Amino acid sequence: MSALRQEFSEWLTDNLCGDYECLRGRGVPGDEEAFPELRKTWEAKLGEAGWIGTDWPEAFGGRGASDKDIIALAEEYAAHGGPGRCGHIGETLLAPTLLAFGTEAQKQKYLPGIKSGTQFWCQGYSEPGAGSDLANVKTKARLEGGEWIIDGQKVWTSLALESDYIFVVARAEAGSVGNKGLVFLLVKLDQPGIDIRPIKQMSGSSEFNEVYFTEAKCSGDDIVGGVGEGWKIAMALLGFERGTSTIGQQMTFKNELNAIIALAKKNGAAKDPLIRNRIAKAYAELKIMKFGFLRTLSSAESGQMSGADFMSKIFWATWHRDLGELAADVMGAEAEAIRDGEFSSLQKLFLYSRADTIYGGTNQIQRNIIAERALGMPKEPRGGQPVMKG
Amino acid sequence: MAFPFSEDHDMIREAARGFLQDVYDGGKGPERIYEAGIGFDAAGWKSFAAELGMAGIAIDEDYGGAGLGDLGRVVIMEELGAALSSIPFSPTCTISADMISAFGTDEAKRDWLPKIATGEVLIAYTDGHDALTINEGKLSGRVNSVLYGVQADLLLMSLRSGDRLKLIGIPKTVDGVSANAIETMDPTRSLSNVELENVALSDVLILGEGALTQFDKVVKTSFITLAAECVGGAQKCLEMTVEYAAQRVQFGRPIASFQAIKHRCADMFIMIEAARSAVYAAATADESNKVEAALIAKAYASDAFFEVAGHAIQLHGGIGFTWEYPLHYFFKRARANRAIFGSSARDYARLADNLLGDAA
Repeated sequence: MSALRQEFSEWLTDNLCGDYECLRGRGVPGDEEAFPELRKTWEAKLGEAGWIGTDWPEAFGGRGASDKDIIALAEEYAAHGGPGRCGHIGETLLAPTLLAFGTEAQKQKYLPGIKSGTQFWCQGYSEPGAGSDLANVKTKARLEGGEWIIDGQKVWTSLALESDYIFVVARAEAGSVGNKGLVFLLVKLDQPGIDIRPIKQMSGSSEFNEVYFTEAKCSGDDIVGGVGEGWKIAMALLGFERGTSTIGQQMTFKNELNAIIALAKKNGAAKDPLIRNRIAKAYAELKIMKFGFLRTLSSAESGQMSGADFMSKIFWATWHRDLGELAADVMGAEAEAIRDGEFSSLQKLFLYSRADTIYGGTNQIQRNIIAERALGMPKEPRGGQPVMKG
Repeated sequence: MAFPFSEDHDMIREAARGFLQDVYDGGKGPERIYEAGIGFDAAGWKSFAAELGMAGIAIDEDYGGAGLGDLGRVVIMEELGAALSSIPFSPTCTISADMISAFGTDEAKRDWLPKIATGEVLIAYTDGHDALTINEGKLSGRVNSVLYGVQADLLLMSLRSGDRLKLIGIPKTVDGVSANAIETMDPTRSLSNVELENVALSDVLILGEGALTQFDKVVKTSFITLAAECVGGAQKCLEMTVEYAAQRVQFGRPIASFQAIKHRCADMFIMIEAARSAVYAAATADESNKVEAALIAKAYASDAFFEVAGHAIQLHGGIGFTWEYPLHYFFKRARANRAIFGSSARDYARLADNLLGDAA
């Protein structure tokens, strides 16, 4: 065990206890509304102890952690039952984007809040008319008196109510279409021009929100890249997503599968040959995912895409949705009963995992991407009108 | 050079691919093998093993091999699978070599490993240690569906006594040994029924011994090469399908432009890449995880190959159903690979036993 890992393990043992004991295993996807205030305090604790941005440059307080260290730390975190990280969008998506494309002033202004675990970010990409067709952004931004003025609407914004800032992709060049003429802006949420409305989901929870912009403002300096480079920055940010931010996820998956195995042994479902086969397959595919992640990580280092990169989203999403169905089938009739007035963790898994194959590029979009980019098949026609038969 | 491979592996892949391209002529090889009617490519095996030096890829350097381990074998088997070759690398250079390395006496290793490495000998391994009986100093028994049993110079077998096994070799030339080829649905790989009838123990070579559990481990680990062959075969099926779909025009456009075709190709890609990860994971697994990883690789990759080959035939339409077009050979190999070392259902059942305890 590396020294850094050892240190983190000991720190978690010493700190994830007492008032924070109740956070163990909470706040994972589907449970993101659990203990929001306490989890933010927890983030600040992580930040204060130097466990956020360990792989950042030393000038910004990094500790020289390698990719291997990052994996090890994420594994320790999950092994200790560390709660879902409300700071992950800032730490693993925006921060690397700012480090790569931001101005010195932007780095100085925003990185310390992320590093200290005191400022939280959400992602303003999707819109009512820009889902799978993400480039069809309608939210407008115009520069006026040294400020960006933003009008429009974002939707499916995770954790907007708990966040301090949002990064927004908006259209700055009138008349531009598709991925041209866009800007990538850094916007404070707490201002009169912004209205956040939670969306109640089929899982009963509301981590997703609508965010309305009515003459919302940010400084003229709060643009990452130039006018017309918004798409490039937005896509670069998503590129970071397939790397480090998926590490903890597999540990969560492992914990969920273990919970299902434990229940199956307890309630007798483990005697059913079909359930046994599905559990064994889920286990095998989780191992496959783990190695696929190593392939992805190494291709990120070498800059050459591997086949594992293209299939990782659809593979884990489909696996996780199947796991949700397995969880419900192992529960059997008990899956219907709501105990203690709220869904159990396995019920949440069953319901929330329906979102996995939709957000971040639906399974259908993933198949298009694989066919077109990995296999070189012809692109989908764009902008055409469907042929309707009367 | 892509993870987890080294430059050595890349060189081997290139050499194997170039050779197989020449000998198997981009998918037409299986037809040639079928015409020959014996499911064995004697000339191809000789060149591949001896001239190209591929037989010794995983054999220890002390015995004249290249010492490139499971990953080296994976590279070769992917290429052999893509060519749908009739070259007995897997029985001779994988399981037989591993059995001798693991349980052979120093003498047995010195006698046989260099011969395997240079391609001088073809060894068939017959699983089934309960099949043999000894009666008055004579060995008898029958093992079915042995890969390349007819062509083998030496049959490698195991003889059980309690929880120990003796590793024995029986030269095909001794009295009482017969191997009869079976006519098989997949005509590109020779299978035989091997029969021993009162073979004198003095004719049997005692090569070494070990614990039953250790034998089982070597057998399971050898599944990695079978799984790698499945990945190579499946990859070839996908490539043929994507190429065909780009050329085939219906409704005024290449069928590759229809989502119904694209999405199924994407599904094939996903299965293949997952199978690839499973195989590479097994090849690089440390000793404590090796058997489990090999089982996963075999179960996943053999299912993936079969499913991908089936999709490939469907997406080719009528032409895929003809004998002339080589896809059916891949489909048949995929089917055979699902059966000859046991089904994936059995592998998953074994995994389930480890995770959940016995079913009863």
